[in-house]
Amino acid sequence: MVRLHILSLASEYSVLTYLHSSAACWGKVLRTFKLADIGEGITECEVIRWTVNPPNQVSAFDTLCEVQSDKASVEITSPFDGTIKELLVKEGEVAKVGAGLCTIEVDEDEYPASDEQSSSSPPHPEQEATQSEKLPAEKSQPPAQDPPKPQRRPHPLDPNVPQESKTAFSPNAGNVLAAPSVRHFAKQSGVDLAKLAPGSGKGGRIEKKDVETYLAGPKEPKTSPGAQAPSPSEPAQDIVVELGRTRYGMWKAMVQSLQIPHFGYSTSLDITALNEIMPILNSNIPSRYLPPSSKPSHPPAISPSSFYAEPSPPVLDPSAQFHKLTYLPILLKTLSKAMHEWPLFRSSITPTWSPSSPDKPTVTLRPHADINIALSTPTGLYTPTLQRVDTHSVYSLASQLKRLSHLGRQVPSGLTLAELPRRGGTLTVSNIGGIGDGESASPVLVPGGGVAIVAVGRAKWVWDVNRGDGKGERRLKIAVSWSADHRVVEGAELVAFIETWRSWVEAPQRLIAEGV
Amino acid sequence: MLALRVCWRRICIISFFEGHRLLPSTHAHNPSERPLHTLTSRRMLLLRTLQHAGRATKCLTHTRSFAVSATTRLSVDRSIYVSKSTNPYFNLTLEDWLFRHKSPKDPLLLFYRDEPCIVIGRNQNPWKEVNLSSAENTGTPWIRRRSGGGTVYHDLGNTNFSIHLSRSAFDRNETGQIVLKAVRSLGVDANLNDRNDICVGKDKISGSAYKIVNNRAYHHGTMLISTRLDTLGDLLRVNKPSLVTKGVASVRSPVRNLQQYNPSVTHEGFVQAVITAFRETYNIRDEVCEVEETEEVKSIPYISAGMEELPQWNWAFGQTPEFTYTLSNTFTWGTVTANIHSKHGMILGCTLETSASTLPVQPNLQGLGEQLSGQKYGFVEEDVLVLEDDTRREVWSWLRNKMSR
Repeated sequence: MVRLHILSLASEYSVLTYLHSSAACWGKVLRTFKLADIGEGITECEVIRWTVNPPNQVSAFDTLCEVQSDKASVEITSPFDGTIKELLVKEGEVAKVGAGLCTIEVDEDEYPASDEQSSSSPPHPEQEATQSEKLPAEKSQPPAQDPPKPQRRPHPLDPNVPQESKTAFSPNAGNVLAAPSVRHFAKQSGVDLAKLAPGSGKGGRIEKKDVETYLAGPKEPKTSPGAQAPSPSEPAQDIVVELGRTRYGMWKAMVQSLQIPHFGYSTSLDITALNEIMPILNSNIPSRYLPPSSKPSHPPAISPSSFYAEPSPPVLDPSAQFHKLTYLPILLKTLSKAMHEWPLFRSSITPTWSPSSPDKPTVTLRPHADINIALSTPTGLYTPTLQRVDTHSVYSLASQLKRLSHLGRQVPSGLTLAELPRRGGTLTVSNIGGIGDGESASPVLVPGGGVAIVAVGRAKWVWDVNRGDGKGERRLKIAVSWSADHRVVEGAELVAFIETWRSWVEAPQRLIAEGV
Repeated sequence: MLALRVCWRRICIISFFEGHRLLPSTHAHNPSERPLHTLTSRRMLLLRTLQHAGRATKCLTHTRSFAVSATTRLSVDRSIYVSKSTNPYFNLTLEDWLFRHKSPKDPLLLFYRDEPCIVIGRNQNPWKEVNLSSAENTGTPWIRRRSGGGTVYHDLGNTNFSIHLSRSAFDRNETGQIVLKAVRSLGVDANLNDRNDICVGKDKISGSAYKIVNNRAYHHGTMLISTRLDTLGDLLRVNKPSLVTKGVASVRSPVRNLQQYNPSVTHEGFVQAVITAFRETYNIRDEVCEVEETEEVKSIPYISAGMEELPQWNWAFGQTPEFTYTLSNTFTWGTVTANIHSKHGMILGCTLETSASTLPVQPNLQGLGEQLSGQKYGFVEEDVLVLEDDTRREVWSWLRNKMSR
């Protein structure tokens, strides 16, 4: 008897539990399935037919009913696994969006209670269905919603799914311009076009590549002044790289160089005679220029310092020491000799003059030869100046060049104002031969770079038929390509200057009489 | 098959020889590099040609098998379908099959033309929308389709289009614009009205309807090219103001044919124009797939079941929403007003009231009304009725007549 009584109490209690839909021992709760926003601005639908009836069991995504709105027939599927308890809207009746369609009994732990009050979805941001379609040329925004798919894949019409995640995917914006194929692509990729506006296309149109770039966004390599190459894992993407400081400096300088009317002249210098004396020059490099490893290990038996130890010259920085002499310092020295004969090439346009000033331009002549050296470094292109080349020996020039290249190779660059004076040189030399075996070049002058620039190529052995009484001779030649500022330099003058230079280069013996 | 293979080889050979002409001429500047450069490009060209030929072959085989013999299965992998059948039951079922079986995110386009028939919307009342007596006289069947919307008339001068998309990508206006663009490209100055129908001026040339399910949606519609508009008008004209129905009422509009604006427009021309617009919008490059109504295709269970379902009473009539029909008639002995209440094609109740004062008539008619209850509207099993006297017989005869048209 008692047992029966308890059982009946228990059953009463379970009934109460169901009705009150509160947490119960049996773990079943009643959920109201509300008609969610179907989209397209629909606010109410007529229920045409229920496919289920209480107490049918349903699984998530089973069809519950079919509703009709205007010209659209919509199938509503169940958001839950459970049992149909009650149909709240009968067939033929109209259900408003947000109103309950039916109640489904579910397992509580599967579908924990969330704020059911918030499930009535707000009217869709783009209530387009009732708008009047104007000209077809007008692009109207697609008011579609992409159902979110978090961990447990709630049903698209599950009213308990937070609305934010739904609207976050709506690929629309107030006035986003994009072609239909781009919109479609964006929708498929789950990209909100509003985030991309304005795009790279005409009139701020969003193009397909904008969407692709957005999708690839976090993987874009960071740009640095060195402008590193894009990573090999992204071969197909276009990457936008910012110009580094030096490269942008080059940009600005080259834009300015457009003011200068250039003319060019190329020739080759015969350095066979130079080549013959190189071994002797190399074996007699003054010891202070030699790096410690090249010096003889022990001092000579007889030395001049035994009589009187002259104050030794200042110790040079190891970066300024070299063990092999190249052609370039000799070419620079001979160039300075030619510059001494040609004052024009020791002059530069007075810096205070500018194209906008009303005065006639003036040219400033300097007593010494200052030559710029073009230096291509990891950090960019620089043109440090060798001051007073005519006062330095070939070895000294070689040492300076070595030091400049050492400083330039540093990252960040070790070149300072001492090496890059504002005044600059009057000629610029670019030793391109060190990099490639070219035949000619057309270098570009920049304002402040002097009146002419020469690109020196690579020494090559060639068969010169002009020599050897018609039989020809094997000669070592080096190509040089000049560009000069035609505002200041005449063509004939440049050619004549180059011939002067040639006379020094091709007969280096002259340097002996001049007293190097 | 042989012809095909030869053709394919020819394409290869031509391309191989032509290859060198298509190479850029800048390679001449580097004589030392030329041989390698040429070889690579030619090889690449050959490979590409082979690939293309292979693709074309596959497509041709595919299409040919449909045209000649049904030995291959109908596949949902394509994006553009043109039905060669004019059987409306087949076409509507094909549309539904493609709708349910295509991968949810891929756009799909289908065209079909039907023999003369009337197609009513999913939730419509055939007794209110179709002139049943005219339909019977002309032998025109009427069919309930699966999408919503109103009633339309199909004949071979009307082309139906159907655009299927993922639900998230679906937008009525966007799909409407595709068809509109196509029509405009045919030289007709059309526009979309506020119900997303394509019109020229105030006249409709196309009607649309939609179906939305869990993850997919479609927009399909008619395009009147050279339809018999007189027949259309006749078959869709129903004069039953006293039949009040739930469900969707058709919005009547004056209609015109595309050929009235541009006489050179044809079914093929319209199909091609829509295909072009569709390809542009969704970036589709697939070949068009032609579908024939073969035994092979009809043996697909979904399709055979669907074709069977459409003409059955359960679907055709049984889906009719609730309605009431009030009608009256004057007999020699008095006036009778009948009030029939029906739902899902069944008579829920029928009340018969009469002005006749003679006593036995009223309960007599009441009895008749009760007998009609539970019967199929318009398909009452007569032998069940007890029609002992003339009054009942007269009234019944009148009711039967009224219900059938």
